[in-house]
Amino acid sequence: MSEKFRGKYAIVGVGQSPLGKIPEYGDIGLFAIAAKNAIEDAGLKRADIDGLISHGPDDSYTHHQHVGEALGINASFSTSTDNGGASQVLGVAMACMAIDAGLCNTVVVGYARDAWSRTHRNAEAKALVAANSEAQALKEFGPEFGLFGQPAHYAIAARRHMQLFGTKKEQLGSIAVAFRNHARKNPNAFMRDPLTLEQYMRARMIVDPLGLYDCSVYVDAAGAVVVTSAERARDLKKPPAYVLGFGFGNRLKGWFADDNMITTGAKEAGETAYRMAGVGPKDIDTAQMYDCFTHMVLLQLEDYGFCKKGEGGPFAASGALEFGGELPTNTSGGQLSEGHVQGMLQICEGVRQIRHEHGADRQVKDAEIALVTGHGGNTVCQSAVILAREAS
Amino acid sequence: MTEYKKPLPRPALESEPFWHGCKKHQLLLPHCPHCGSYWFPASVTCPECLNLQWEWKPSAGKGKIHSFGVYHRVYHKGFEPEIPYAVALVQLDEGPRLVSNIIGCSPEELRCDAPVEVVFEDVTDDTTLYKFKLLENP
Repeated sequence: MSEKFRGKYAIVGVGQSPLGKIPEYGDIGLFAIAAKNAIEDAGLKRADIDGLISHGPDDSYTHHQHVGEALGINASFSTSTDNGGASQVLGVAMACMAIDAGLCNTVVVGYARDAWSRTHRNAEAKALVAANSEAQALKEFGPEFGLFGQPAHYAIAARRHMQLFGTKKEQLGSIAVAFRNHARKNPNAFMRDPLTLEQYMRARMIVDPLGLYDCSVYVDAAGAVVVTSAERARDLKKPPAYVLGFGFGNRLKGWFADDNMITTGAKEAGETAYRMAGVGPKDIDTAQMYDCFTHMVLLQLEDYGFCKKGEGGPFAASGALEFGGELPTNTSGGQLSEGHVQGMLQICEGVRQIRHEHGADRQVKDAEIALVTGHGGNTVCQSAVILAREAS
Repeated sequence: MTEYKKPLPRPALESEPFWHGCKKHQLLLPHCPHCGSYWFPASVTCPECLNLQWEWKPSAGKGKIHSFGVYHRVYHKGFEPEIPYAVALVQLDEGPRLVSNIIGCSPEELRCDAPVEVVFEDVTDDTTLYKFKLLENP
């Protein structure tokens, strides 16, 4: 039944804002820049946009209204998503569903966050951030024992994986190093200094076993894409990236429950997306994966079926993720090195690879099919979309 | 008692009996007599069968370290003197997993699946925290 979506919709435009330390723009401004660039990239006009799906900082309220106001549009379908880092891929899928339901024709999907400036812009910003983290923090069964921040959740998962399968820190390091090598080819990436495995191993611990280079890098940035029907896509400026399939897996019982930190909802997300797309892991030419932490890449390599459960470490360390490897992954540097924009730049990069838009040094040769993933809400929610050069 | 500088739990409505239990050095778990399941933290309905008529039952207080992370970065000044300190996820024999600390040992002594037993720390006049210690002769 879900196959009815296969190849019927496409991403036709991608856009980004400047990326880095950009205190002069707030998240709405960054979003507007990315959306403008995405609309122009598609060869469309603002008047063509009748749908908007947005996601912003966690404390935002009716985010899409603020974005729509900034873009000067009314929409026949618009909303803000709430699946954390799984929201952006979810947004692409929701755009397809909304168009399919006849609610709208051409949808902007995007994400923006002034993640660096929120904590650094001025004294007022610092106070605001303190209030926000208070609102988001656990109130019991965590802070009283010293559980704070994001890295610990992944550190605890990584250590369990090490216990069960003998996974090594060096194998996590190979992910950080591979993505840094990719970022070094990307002039827009935030972290472009060379990174060796030795430097990775020597870096300070954050929450052991995760150290500095296991963690993604917060930046100010936005990304946006334009989704429309395959028929409309064929008349536009750039080659469409057809949406072959998408899927979700939301293990709402929690990260610490059952075996959810070993086998994640990515398993269900992948199975659904592959079935809808009529492809399997062997057909994927490049993966753009949500990499908030190195260990989450390792888990996704397993859960999306590129290797068996427990073999993510050796697979990552084999060079598979590099250009010329079995599965060139996060070819723009990923959130670990390009910058953490909640997976939105992974969608943009997936489209660019499918369009064969890059120079030879950054282009996955003959890339036909890309897997793009997201996860969020403390990794409970997983989302996947499969993009392709051909509609079937 | 010297001033306690770490955060104290701010109980949800459903958790208040749990923290009263800790005060009496009892580790109470939500238990559903209808389906027999234990879970944590407490919720109005049993997550297995959605029964509302569940009860608090004392745990035997024994379990294993499912996993742990060792903090080298300071997130809260109250924990600064203890860096590096471990936050553990303890798997109780009854089934639920609890975030806690393992006391009486250094982080280097911790191992996944090591057996542990609950202990209680009266950290203020009003608050008692559940913690765990390694079991030497399980």
